[in-house]
Amino acid sequence: MRIELVGVTKIFVDGKKVLDNICFGGDFKTLAIIGPSGGGKSTLLRILGGLISPTTGDVLLDGNKIIFDEKHLIQHRRQIGFVFQAKGLFNHLNAQQNVVLPLVNVHGYAKADAKEIADSLLDRFGLSADRHKFPNELSGGQQQRVAIVRAVAVKPKLLLLDEPTSALDPELTGEVLAMLNELRYDGLNIILVTHEMGFAKKACDKLMFIVNGRLTEYGDSERLFTRPHTPELASFLGRVLEWGI
Amino acid sequence: MALHRVFIKGTNDKVTLLQKFLNIVIAVAIFLLFFFFSAKRLNINFDFSFLWTFRYRLIKGFATTVELSLVSLILSLLLGFLSAMANNSRILAVSYFSKVYVQFFRGTPMIMQIYLFFYIVGTAWGVDNRFLAGVLILSLFEGAYIAEIIRGGIDSIEPTQLEAAKAVGLEARQTLRLIVLPQIIKRTLPALAGQFASIIKDSSLLSLISVIELTQTIREISASNFAIFESYIFLGLLYLSLTFPISLYTRYLEGKFSYEN
Repeated sequence: MRIELVGVTKIFVDGKKVLDNICFGGDFKTLAIIGPSGGGKSTLLRILGGLISPTTGDVLLDGNKIIFDEKHLIQHRRQIGFVFQAKGLFNHLNAQQNVVLPLVNVHGYAKADAKEIADSLLDRFGLSADRHKFPNELSGGQQQRVAIVRAVAVKPKLLLLDEPTSALDPELTGEVLAMLNELRYDGLNIILVTHEMGFAKKACDKLMFIVNGRLTEYGDSERLFTRPHTPELASFLGRVLEWGI
Repeated sequence: MALHRVFIKGTNDKVTLLQKFLNIVIAVAIFLLFFFFSAKRLNINFDFSFLWTFRYRLIKGFATTVELSLVSLILSLLLGFLSAMANNSRILAVSYFSKVYVQFFRGTPMIMQIYLFFYIVGTAWGVDNRFLAGVLILSLFEGAYIAEIIRGGIDSIEPTQLEAAKAVGLEARQTLRLIVLPQIIKRTLPALAGQFASIIKDSSLLSLISVIELTQTIREISASNFAIFESYIFLGLLYLSLTFPISLYTRYLEGKFSYEN
């Protein structure tokens, strides 16, 4: 998938400039966005997902410009899967209902078909025993896997994940990353904001490094990890990889 | 099972049905014995036989209380919902009107509201049907409490729920119908059921403006035959027969709520 950002800037109502004139174009299958906290990674992901609008600038996916008004954004969101850091499941619905709701109410599937799709995906990712559990009865890792199932059930052209494992302990992180890896092999386009450097290095073909609202470095992830061009990335990697990956 | 086990619960034990039954009987017995012992000290002998004579009036009073409470429940739900919505309004006067309403009706005794509204507002606007006036005052009073319950329910919706709804592509109206309302209803239902019990009890105050509901009926009967104690004991039992099932239902809802959320 090709992504182009033309002078994307986001200034919040309190005057804080979170994204500063990002200009960029590139192709990817799996793209990891890394960088220090508060650098604007999540904001960029939310703009790509059509959840917020940039203050100025254009975003193009496969050459199609995202039109940032509510009517067009709803259509845009429907083609994209979005997974939040945590708590993204609907509290009052069980796992299966969480997956079924967008299929039925947004994408017009018949209820029986939607259930079938939900069950087969939950089954595939080892969640069939949990399909009647409510979010508060699921572990953090299970919640995230259900959230991913909900996002991919509608066959999105792009899956966005905002630090999907940062609220999880290492064991649960592993099960979520394994699931993402499998989806990657299915050919799904993925962009994720992550602090999991091992996953960014081994499972993502491209890497985007954002500091203080600026796109500081972009390229093949293997290259960025082994031969960073900018001192910012070199020092960032030095810090996060101090104890190895 | 050792005998003391029937009466004392271990830290991690579940209370068995037998334990529950026996100990409830004991608790109720202590309560009643104390009461009747107090009455005995005053040489009061209870005679409930007169109640049968007044059965039709009592049934009518009972029915009026139920009717009054049900109509007030519906009206106060509506008022509470509107007020909670108004509270979040971006039109400041509307928002403050709602806040003033809630503050006034929650912060003053209902007896004052009854007199004030019945004799001034009611008279000025020609509301001389006491049942109607009673329903209106009761609904205004309870609506203020319900407004707070609903507002709490709205506030308890986490922002991520709305963001997730947006992300899956729901429209604003669908989000309200499929995500927000079901969660608010689930979260506020126990408190709302509890408030219904309050409505039933509070409706007794409308006897002050001679709405012939249950309490007023009992007041009239006891004024004619001076069987005050028996009348009021019976009155208490009748109110309990209404509020106790609601309290059980509330407990059930709370259990269900904690499980699902």
